[in-house]
Amino acid sequence: MSGPLLDARGITVQYGGVVALDAVDFAADERAVTGLVGPNGAGKTTLFGVLSGLVRPRSGRVLLGDVDITGASPQRRARSGLARTFQRLELFGEMTVREHLVVAHRVRERRDRWLLRDLVGLGSRPTADEADVVESTLSLLALDGVADQPVALLPLGTARIVELARALATEPRVVLLDEPMSGLDVQETGRIAEALRVARDERGVAFVIVEHDIELVLELSTQITVLDFGRVIARGAPEQIRSSASVQAAYLGTDTANGGAT
Amino acid sequence: MGPFIVTGLVLGSIYAVSVLGLVLTYNASRVFNFAHGAIAYFAAVTYYWLTRFEGWSVPAAAVAVIFVVGPLVGLILWRLVFRRLTDSPPVVRFVSTVGLWVAIPAFAKLLYGTTVVGGEVLAPGFGGEPPGEFDLLGVTVNWNQASVVIGAAVVALAFGIMLRYTPFGLSTRAAVDSPRVASIAGINPPVVSAISWMLGCGLAALAGVLLSPTLGLGEVQFTLLLVVSFAAAVVGRLRSLPLAFAGALLIGLLQGLSEKYTNDWFSDSTSTFADTLKTGFKPSIPFIVMLAFLLAYQGLRREQFEVDLRAGPAEAEIVPATRLTGWRAAIGPLAVAVALFSVPLWLNDFWVGVVSQGVALAVLFLTFTVVIGEGGMLSLAQIALAGIGAFTAAKLATDAGWPVWLALLAGALLTVPIGLLVAALSMRLGDLYLALATLAFAQLVTYLLFQRQDFDNFSSGVEIARPEFFGIDFDDRVSFYLLLATVFCVVALVVVSLRRSTSGMVLAAMRSSEQASATIGISVVRSKLIVFGVSAFIAGLGGGLYAVSFGRATVQSFSVLVGIVWLAIVVTWGIRSVVGALMAAILYVVVSPPTNKLSFILVIIVVFFMMGMTARLIGSRAIYTPRGMALAALLYIAGIAAIVLVLPIDVKEEIDLGTAWDYIPTLLFGLGAVFLARQPRGVLFDVMNRIRLRQLRRDARTAESAPLAQEAAP
Repeated sequence: MSGPLLDARGITVQYGGVVALDAVDFAADERAVTGLVGPNGAGKTTLFGVLSGLVRPRSGRVLLGDVDITGASPQRRARSGLARTFQRLELFGEMTVREHLVVAHRVRERRDRWLLRDLVGLGSRPTADEADVVESTLSLLALDGVADQPVALLPLGTARIVELARALATEPRVVLLDEPMSGLDVQETGRIAEALRVARDERGVAFVIVEHDIELVLELSTQITVLDFGRVIARGAPEQIRSSASVQAAYLGTDTANGGAT
Repeated sequence: MGPFIVTGLVLGSIYAVSVLGLVLTYNASRVFNFAHGAIAYFAAVTYYWLTRFEGWSVPAAAVAVIFVVGPLVGLILWRLVFRRLTDSPPVVRFVSTVGLWVAIPAFAKLLYGTTVVGGEVLAPGFGGEPPGEFDLLGVTVNWNQASVVIGAAVVALAFGIMLRYTPFGLSTRAAVDSPRVASIAGINPPVVSAISWMLGCGLAALAGVLLSPTLGLGEVQFTLLLVVSFAAAVVGRLRSLPLAFAGALLIGLLQGLSEKYTNDWFSDSTSTFADTLKTGFKPSIPFIVMLAFLLAYQGLRREQFEVDLRAGPAEAEIVPATRLTGWRAAIGPLAVAVALFSVPLWLNDFWVGVVSQGVALAVLFLTFTVVIGEGGMLSLAQIALAGIGAFTAAKLATDAGWPVWLALLAGALLTVPIGLLVAALSMRLGDLYLALATLAFAQLVTYLLFQRQDFDNFSSGVEIARPEFFGIDFDDRVSFYLLLATVFCVVALVVVSLRRSTSGMVLAAMRSSEQASATIGISVVRSKLIVFGVSAFIAGLGGGLYAVSFGRATVQSFSVLVGIVWLAIVVTWGIRSVVGALMAAILYVVVSPPTNKLSFILVIIVVFFMMGMTARLIGSRAIYTPRGMALAALLYIAGIAAIVLVLPIDVKEEIDLGTAWDYIPTLLFGLGAVFLARQPRGVLFDVMNRIRLRQLRRDARTAESAPLAQEAAP
């Protein structure tokens, strides 16, 4: 395989008359954390939607590895190794932490296909492989202590880590993280950052991270893409981004670009 | 042609008045009022009672009902029920209003007595008695009809003006678009919502008053009024008042005209199908219109639907409890199974017969457990599927001479593709539209299929005998009962193992978040099809068994209204629980007439008390100690002793409770659904959950610091 792991080219999305994304190129390398930043309304969430298959682009292509997944359903993307988390928590409210990982892994293994086995009560035995993946992911993210608690009782920081764990249990090649730190305190943020590093180093998973806290993204990522008003205004390593004039303009506001100063 | 257009216009005008109220209240509170027709019914009966029995003049009674009774009912119900529903999960919103739909007519009958509401009596109209007539373009129109059309036109005009030009109209529109922003702007959404409910129920009352002189006070007419309003509301996408109004007129006109054409076309035809169409086509029209518009809108503008339907909040407030594991988890089900199989030991033959009907019905009820409890889809088609299973089995067994068990199986299997078809057409719709589409399907099946003469057979239905297989004859009551209990246990086990299996986890994931499910690779379409398929099979099998327990499949036992009552009871007892389904079913057959005997009701109270105690005991730690077990055993022995003492051996000596009692169960079922459905998984789950949660918190307190410290470590 040559080139980046996840490669989006010329993505354009329109909502009615509003152009949310205008010919955006975006790439994420294997075993790396790629940052995606930009002011409010820059199109970050829309681009995430396009990458994960929840938003259909008007034009452009998305490649995962060498496979064109532009028209693929979220389900197919998940099976070919693309997972994501949500900014607004989308946990399965009735399940325990462990069950989140179990269901993700079983869907990946397509064990939900055997309805008849399920109906006679054989569908609930864990396989050795399943136990392996689930337990190692739990301990990777230090979730062992809460594994059998219902997620509804967890604090926000832990809940966000559960989302990450569920994504990892699908054994993905790349995980899209939509504002994984929003609403968290410093300590919890540190836990997530640590979890990302561990997952990248030990599992070889690539991450794409959207985050408001630009300092955090600069610290975590090796490559960063900056969006503003649906266009890419900068791309490069953290130090390049830090010194880029157009990024400063977008974030601090000039008379031409008057984006939100967050 | 002329007279038919007039009839159609009159019908359409009444529908239009009704749908205005429905759409208004929906938009003001996001609660789709399934009790709208019942409120109209209550108003009409009150109006009839005032004019016929209390000697009020027509205008005075009409004014009192439309401007006082209707709004007052609206205000009371808003205060007690609707106010709380805006922020509830869809199932709760739905079941609560369905509960009112069941309870209000029962309440009206209890209040005014059967003499008032017994038959299809006509209330006096505005045109005098007999109504005066006049000539309009060569068509004779009577003043009753004219007053209806004029009344609808005035109401429509007044509404248009009010919404567009008055401060109230403005704040209503604002509160509908965004309650939060509206409240910042100084509008008080609860007040707007209360006024909307008063207006909406006033309109329902007006529709009732207009309808009663034209079509009479039959409860059926008002159910029809309700569903036509649904259809018209769908035409207006639940938002547009003018479109809904036009839709109502259209349906009325189509119905008026259909009377002419079905008579013309099929007057000399003698086939069964033509006969069915003659009687069944006219009431089917609203459903055909509804289905057509649902499918058309679905194809044209899907997003618009999605936005409307996903407006409801998630089930955030429901905290699930940890499950019991190992042998402890088996105690509860085993206790229930022992109780179930030992029934013939402590009940006499008569009551074993009654309870068999309950157990057969319990199999049927498991279809709700699967489709709503597991699948999270509000399907009202289940009763029709059960009917299809029952009639297929009865026809095959009695007319074609198949062995009964094979016929039952064939009936169940046949319902599967039909259920899948319903699912394929409706599952992309959101909660509310899915409910409406499946309701339409169920009604169409009733009108166009079940009411065929060879099915209905002058209300006596199709006979079906008790099964006999592998050389065992299940003809006597006890062995038939044991067969049913076995079937129930098997199906219940299948449902439970489905829940615990991979497919069950997938469904739980889907219920919580379709988005997140899709991004971990779950195929939502496939999962929903599975749920519908399995639930259809159970419905078909349960329907067949229920018919066998009566000895015949009849149209009445599978009417849509009955299905609604069933659904309300199942949800009340616990839509996620197989024991809940069993208890709901037994309760239903026992307290439904004609078994309104005091002693048996006492027995049932004892049984339910025991089941409640079982739930408590399973939930508490104490039961797993020897002392706790001894206490539980003692309790059980006392309970059974109470049953044996209370239950008289001779049925004839029992105390009969009189006819008023007939309506009380229905009333209670309805009210139960309204007030208990706040915990959407039902009474049983609620009790268990509280106990386990308390336990969980206690555990967390005792081991306070340890897990927290662990969690904080990075």
